[in-house]
Amino acid sequence: MSERNPDDAGGRIESKRERESVAGTADAERETEPLLRIEDLWKSYGNEEVLRGVSLEVDRGDVEVLVGPSGSGKSTLLRCLNRLTEVDSGHVYLGETEVTGPDTDPNAIRQQIGMVFQDINLFTHLTARQNITLGLRKVRGQSKAEARRRADSELDRVGLLAQAGSYPAQLSGGQKQRVGIARALAMDPEVMLFDEPTSALDPELSNEVLEVMSQLVAEGMTMVVVTHEMRFARGGATGITFLDEGKVIEHGPPDQIFDDPERERTARFFQSIRHE
Amino acid sequence: MEFVPALAETAVTASTASDAVPLFTEPILSEETVAEYLGEDWAFVYRNREYLLWGTVVTIALTITSLLLGFLAGFPAGVIEAYGGGYSRAFVRKFGVLLRGTPILVIMIYTFYVLPIGIVLDPVQSALAGLDAVLGPIPVPDVGEAFMAATLALGFRSAAYQSQIFRGALQNVDEGQMEAARSIGMNRLEAIRHVIAPQALRRSVPGFQNEFTIVLKDTSIAFAIGLGELLKRSNDLFFQQTTAILEVIIFASLIYFVLTFSTNRTLDYVSNRFAIPGESS
Amino acid sequence: MSDSSPDGVRDRLGGSSRRIGPVLAVLAGVAFWGWLLTRWFNDWVLARVGVGPGAGENYLSPAPFEAAAETFEGTVATVGPVRLPMNWLATLFDGVALAIDIAPILADGAWNTIVLTGVSIVLGLFIAVPIAVLRVYGGPFRWIALAYTELIRGTPLLAQLFVLYYGLPLAVWINDLEMVGRGFVPEYAFWIAIIGFTINGSAYQTEYIRGALESVDEGQLTAARAIGMTRLEGIRHVVLPQTLRYGIPAWTNELVYLIKYSSLAGFITVPELYYRASRVASSTFEYTPIFTLLALVYLGLVLTATDAMGRLERRVAIPGLGQVGGRQQGTSKETRTDADETA
Repeated sequence: MSERNPDDAGGRIESKRERESVAGTADAERETEPLLRIEDLWKSYGNEEVLRGVSLEVDRGDVEVLVGPSGSGKSTLLRCLNRLTEVDSGHVYLGETEVTGPDTDPNAIRQQIGMVFQDINLFTHLTARQNITLGLRKVRGQSKAEARRRADSELDRVGLLAQAGSYPAQLSGGQKQRVGIARALAMDPEVMLFDEPTSALDPELSNEVLEVMSQLVAEGMTMVVVTHEMRFARGGATGITFLDEGKVIEHGPPDQIFDDPERERTARFFQSIRHE
Repeated sequence: MEFVPALAETAVTASTASDAVPLFTEPILSEETVAEYLGEDWAFVYRNREYLLWGTVVTIALTITSLLLGFLAGFPAGVIEAYGGGYSRAFVRKFGVLLRGTPILVIMIYTFYVLPIGIVLDPVQSALAGLDAVLGPIPVPDVGEAFMAATLALGFRSAAYQSQIFRGALQNVDEGQMEAARSIGMNRLEAIRHVIAPQALRRSVPGFQNEFTIVLKDTSIAFAIGLGELLKRSNDLFFQQTTAILEVIIFASLIYFVLTFSTNRTLDYVSNRFAIPGESS
Repeated sequence: MSDSSPDGVRDRLGGSSRRIGPVLAVLAGVAFWGWLLTRWFNDWVLARVGVGPGAGENYLSPAPFEAAAETFEGTVATVGPVRLPMNWLATLFDGVALAIDIAPILADGAWNTIVLTGVSIVLGLFIAVPIAVLRVYGGPFRWIALAYTELIRGTPLLAQLFVLYYGLPLAVWINDLEMVGRGFVPEYAFWIAIIGFTINGSAYQTEYIRGALESVDEGQLTAARAIGMTRLEGIRHVVLPQTLRYGIPAWTNELVYLIKYSSLAGFITVPELYYRASRVASSTFEYTPIFTLLALVYLGLVLTATDAMGRLERRVAIPGLGQVGGRQQGTSKETRTDADETA
């Protein structure tokens, strides 16, 4: 699992627009097969049904934003995608591999699906750089020097190379979250999951995180994002999925969902947000 | 046994007189039945059950008197450490370090051999005799020198720890509580009495729970000064019948375990019962 | 010794005692450890090559102090009004003479106490870490760890030592080993005491580590798993390194506890501090000075342990997280000052 096609790494750095121009000439299978396929997911905690038959497809290079009221199942859905939460029934596919398959090693799959948390969860006892090298060394088995080089390049990418030796408690919230993103990126994921990455931050601090995310969008990273930042959703997303009570209510491009939703429930939700 | 502190044999055991009072009038099982099913050694334990159970009574009594003394001395000490002025606080702290830094065994030997126990013992004995005269015979074991020395040692050592529990709990009460109490016209002492202490006492239950079991287990160290508590009596027994050593100690350990376990569960219950709604303990 | 900690509460003590206190503490520490170290060096090295007073022999002769004591004892009767102060001086000189007399014995006992405590706490830690992990992350096997800790913590240490010493045929097995009791290898009772303290200490250490494990934020393990670590790798590389740091104050308590309770080994004839001192006391009947000296030696060991652990804690503290382990301001401050002040 940890051996990766070098083409993938190249493809990740290409910008989205470049990728679109290549599309069609590249192998046709990739075009027709979505990168991430979610089929009829069900999940309940005790009597409470959190996901009730969610299906969704995310193509390579797509940025899918999940919106919905709190308790609608967005975060649970994200956690099911990398099996931090096990589903009750349904399937998740990453390319050819079934993530939810009984023989699939969840640890291997999690390296291909990076995750950024609402509460950041940097390893408290490690510096920013060590936070990134830990996975590279212990999971990937890289050498110290190799891991360090990679960590520094990822820290540079999120603009924090100068803070490489700082401990989490010495960083601001925004800086911490950027290290969190760098930590996930260092594992060469095919998809990045963002679970409300800015909601624990002050508005001015969330901007620096959103900038890094926008930069990833421009680089063509496939992303699934749970967020309340409607500016990011409108500007960066290729698709918006509106969830409520564990079901997909509506899915479509941002302009349509924001300005001309088909369902009355969706319209009411965006109405309520705007009034806040 | 090679090692018994010098004067242990001559020490006054606490409840020799009480041994005459039977705990059970009718034995539930006959010794023969026990011997048949569990062997002669368990039958030996069973035959001496009253001797051991009176040891348990001494153990429990010693735990209670020590904890009471510990609370009476430890709570004020905790208040002084949290709110007291320079010298009183320094004194309490130094004394606490002394008590917490010395083995309970050494403290106990000290109170037994060095302190003039009689000064405290005589009034206590006459008070108990007075009670006896007023109420008729009361089921309190005779208080001997060893019991008094053990109570003083365990009690003051416990006070040194309890003061830390209460100091921590007092300091953990939000400073705003004191300000709020002062703002409605209470003085410092009233604020501690009516606002801070009630919150702090509730929060010190877990620490107190810990202290309770420590004192209960450490009563066994009164063995060193010859007090006839549970472990001393077990020890006497298994030197009578050396084949039954394991059986006797296991039986005694089981009693200790039942005692600590049930106190812990009871204090858990107390803790939940008096918890402030909405505040996790 | 513990006064050297830059503790806020301590600073508020104020007055001149704050300036003199640390100096006195350092002097006392130097004297205490100077005495112990030279004593051990003398007994094991110098005495063997025939230099110095020989193993277990006094540095100074107690004779002049005894003579002085006797002089004052003599003057008591003759000088009527100054009776009390003279008597007091006699007691003091007697005490000094006695201290000189038993110092080699105490130093030897202290060595046994330190070895007993040090070996037991380290062995106990190796047992405690897996048990604590089992207790927190063990799923259906948690009860095994729970039963172990509850049983050990629910019975007195002395009873456990009795079970090992009198109840089980351990003595026979250990005595069968060739090297026991020869040269530097101590007698079987010592090994039984180590087994007892290791088992007892491991149960308490399990509880401390469990508490620390549970206080590590759950998100830390989730994040470790999100980058592809297994649960065990996450525990090993992320949770435990934090746990062991946060566990230091509690671990200090355990160390202090073991130093003090190692005195119980005296009941199974291990020649540690208490045993050596009580032997002398029961033959000389000088209880007051001997047990006072004994208490001072224990106090020296305990205060050294707390001070050293405090230094270690500051040393490994995670930068930016406050002074030491300031993770949850309220409670950790409490545990820290507890540890600093010999809880």
